[in-house]
Amino acid sequence: MKKLLVVILAVLVVVAVFAQKSGGRLVIAMETEPVGLDPHLVTAFASHRVLENVYDSLLKYGEGMKLVPNLAEEAQAVDPYTIVFKIREDVKFHDGTPMTVEDVLFSFERILNPDTKSPAAAFYQDVESIKAIGDNKIEFKLKKPMASTLLPNFAGVNSSIVSKKFVESGKNLQLETNGTGPFYLAEYVPGNYMILKKNPYYFVKDQPYLDEIKIVFMPEEVSRVAALKNGDVDIAKINEPLNLKQFPEGKFKIHRSPVLSYYLIGINTTRKPLNDPRVRNALNYAINREAIIKTVVFSEGVVTGPLNPAVQPWALLPKSFDEYTYNPAKAKELLAQAGYPNGFEFEIVTSQRYNFDKVAQVIQAQLAEVGVKVKIDLVEWGIFIKRWRESDFDAFISMNSGSIEPDIQFYRTFHTGGSTNVFLYSNPRVDELLDLGRSTVDITKRKEIYDELQRIIVKESPVIFLYSANQIFVSSASVENFKLLANESLVFLRETYKK
Amino acid sequence: MSFAYLVRRVVTSIPTVLFVAFVVFITIHLVPGNVVDMMLGTQNYLTQEQIDQLYKEYGLDKPLIVQFGIWLKNIATLDFGTSLRTGKKVINLIMDRFPVTLELSVLSMFFATIIGVPLGIVAAVKRNSFVDGVLRVVGLIGLSSPSFWVGAILIVIFAGLFQGFNIFGYVRLKEDFLKNLQVMFLPSLTLGLMLSAQIMRMTRSSMLDALQQEYIKTAKAKGVSHSKVIGKHALKNALIPIITLSGIQLGYLLAGTIVIENMFALPGLGRLLLQAVNERDYPVIQFVVMFIALLIVVLNIVVDFIYTLVDPRVELR
Repeated sequence: MKKLLVVILAVLVVVAVFAQKSGGRLVIAMETEPVGLDPHLVTAFASHRVLENVYDSLLKYGEGMKLVPNLAEEAQAVDPYTIVFKIREDVKFHDGTPMTVEDVLFSFERILNPDTKSPAAAFYQDVESIKAIGDNKIEFKLKKPMASTLLPNFAGVNSSIVSKKFVESGKNLQLETNGTGPFYLAEYVPGNYMILKKNPYYFVKDQPYLDEIKIVFMPEEVSRVAALKNGDVDIAKINEPLNLKQFPEGKFKIHRSPVLSYYLIGINTTRKPLNDPRVRNALNYAINREAIIKTVVFSEGVVTGPLNPAVQPWALLPKSFDEYTYNPAKAKELLAQAGYPNGFEFEIVTSQRYNFDKVAQVIQAQLAEVGVKVKIDLVEWGIFIKRWRESDFDAFISMNSGSIEPDIQFYRTFHTGGSTNVFLYSNPRVDELLDLGRSTVDITKRKEIYDELQRIIVKESPVIFLYSANQIFVSSASVENFKLLANESLVFLRETYKK
Repeated sequence: MSFAYLVRRVVTSIPTVLFVAFVVFITIHLVPGNVVDMMLGTQNYLTQEQIDQLYKEYGLDKPLIVQFGIWLKNIATLDFGTSLRTGKKVINLIMDRFPVTLELSVLSMFFATIIGVPLGIVAAVKRNSFVDGVLRVVGLIGLSSPSFWVGAILIVIFAGLFQGFNIFGYVRLKEDFLKNLQVMFLPSLTLGLMLSAQIMRMTRSSMLDALQQEYIKTAKAKGVSHSKVIGKHALKNALIPIITLSGIQLGYLLAGTIVIENMFALPGLGRLLLQAVNERDYPVIQFVVMFIALLIVVLNIVVDFIYTLVDPRVELR
């Protein structure tokens, strides 16, 4: 009898827990609105945040940014040239049709087709062939031995699996969606809101917990803060740490997490006097990173080196670089050695977004102390991008999205002629290390390669790494299990629920 | 108003609209950074070849004047273009967004008038009194306060004082009438307050002018009541400049609610335009601006027509 009671009680508890978790509607206020809905085309951050809940990729990021299986049950780098995915067989698209190996093949063909112009095509440029093995496996053959460095790309929104039938029926994916993700797009009123509803076919049992997510677009922070306080929304992105004071604990929850994206000063390495590595390195010593974090984001951030300190085992911690300890005397000494004992003058171009302008002002004040005069050129974002692309700057302040994979973070940025090497930086040893790192599988050897690379990059400073700011969301106390990832993704919305 | 007058006005406004379209077209293309730049951002992943291909696809590889010609030709065949970034038809985007801006403008004008005109009359009648002084100072403050500041203050006050009042979450008028009015209340009040300052000042000076006319003295001498002198004889004659100002302001509202729409998260035309400019979404920018130019032309004709209703001496020929 006692046993029976215990069993009944246990069942009741389990039921209660599940009953609590499921259901409900979450209203979330976001700053920006998606630009387009085609998962293979979108580049806007806001599009990614929505589509990662509508579409699935073969892999995804789990907690702590670990790559975990998603539409692929298993991913295996058989050898450095071969990756084999075992595809799940219980997955359906939102329209109810089953997802097959055909759809996976079609998705990658679509990505690689130059007419599609998918940003993901660049990730897979060294893929030699893709073919199905049986009816539940897919094999990628690579031209270069880079199987493990390629894997993180399979977790991106740009590598989502789309329905072959749906696309071939002439549907425009920029306007209509049909994914396999936990939510489907039920309604989109541009400029106003989007409604995502629970996908009844979702392959993870019991997920998502929420019935509905309403994403409202509120560009102004003051509106998001007021909407949260007023109860119009359950959760909102907060950019200005000062505003956190308005949310008393108990009534609200503050969710914060470090991110991979980082603030940087990019330097044109071909213009005098910044073409001299000693001069660039001197700037490193003259910048007080902690002071920037304190002044600009009220200590909501961490100092970062070439790789975010959280990216282990690869990242060398900022402390391990002499340059990252504020040392104006050393800066002056280096400047004198380079022939600029009285400093020099240069221009930093930046734009008024994400606090770039404030970072620039603090740096201007800090460099003035070692005699370096900075002129800040504040331009509109479009103008900034043009000047960035054309390397039309002495230096710039901006933010880059980081990666957990050093090859993704460094290759195109520091390789001679790399597509984002706007610093026009070129060092044969760096090129060699980048190529080696890409093809080395052994972790110890690979770590040695990237350690050396990070040291060279800090020493020669084509980029001066500054800090990563925390991402902050505030929610009402009833929101449970809202988790953030370092890549600023919101994939965990599928596990969120309201009490 | 004669039909011939209307036709003449419409025909003479065509060059204006075309000129606006041309200037906007050239300006937006001359601004550094184009749609392809904005699309790629600082994550350049395409080869130069692919980038060139994109330019070609968007028709951006042709000389500007040719691009303008193609656009005009499309407009003439009622093809108003497709957004380069979202793939949506520009005309649908505008039809979606315009009602919001129209409602916002009309409600703002409503607030501006019910606040501005009575206060202006009071100030004129009580000229150089203490009340007049206070109203003039308040008006000056209203004129010099930026809308984003007034809006932010109103949001803070309302979010603090009236829990449960719908400040955000726009719904269409026909979907939920009450909620729509609640959501539109603060943004319209913000804009209305600012405009009321101008209307008040204009009403005051125009009324002062009217009150000094001989016919007012005559009316008073004949023993017409004070309220009738003010309300009928003076106000009606003072209305023309107020209507002109309101017309101009309504045009300004239809084109210039960008800041307020952003602040109150309203899906209006201003926000569409701002987003399009940020993305360099050329077809959207071009047609939205031309649409606004057309509106202003129409509005001017309507204002002229209203003159004839207020003052029978005005004749449109």
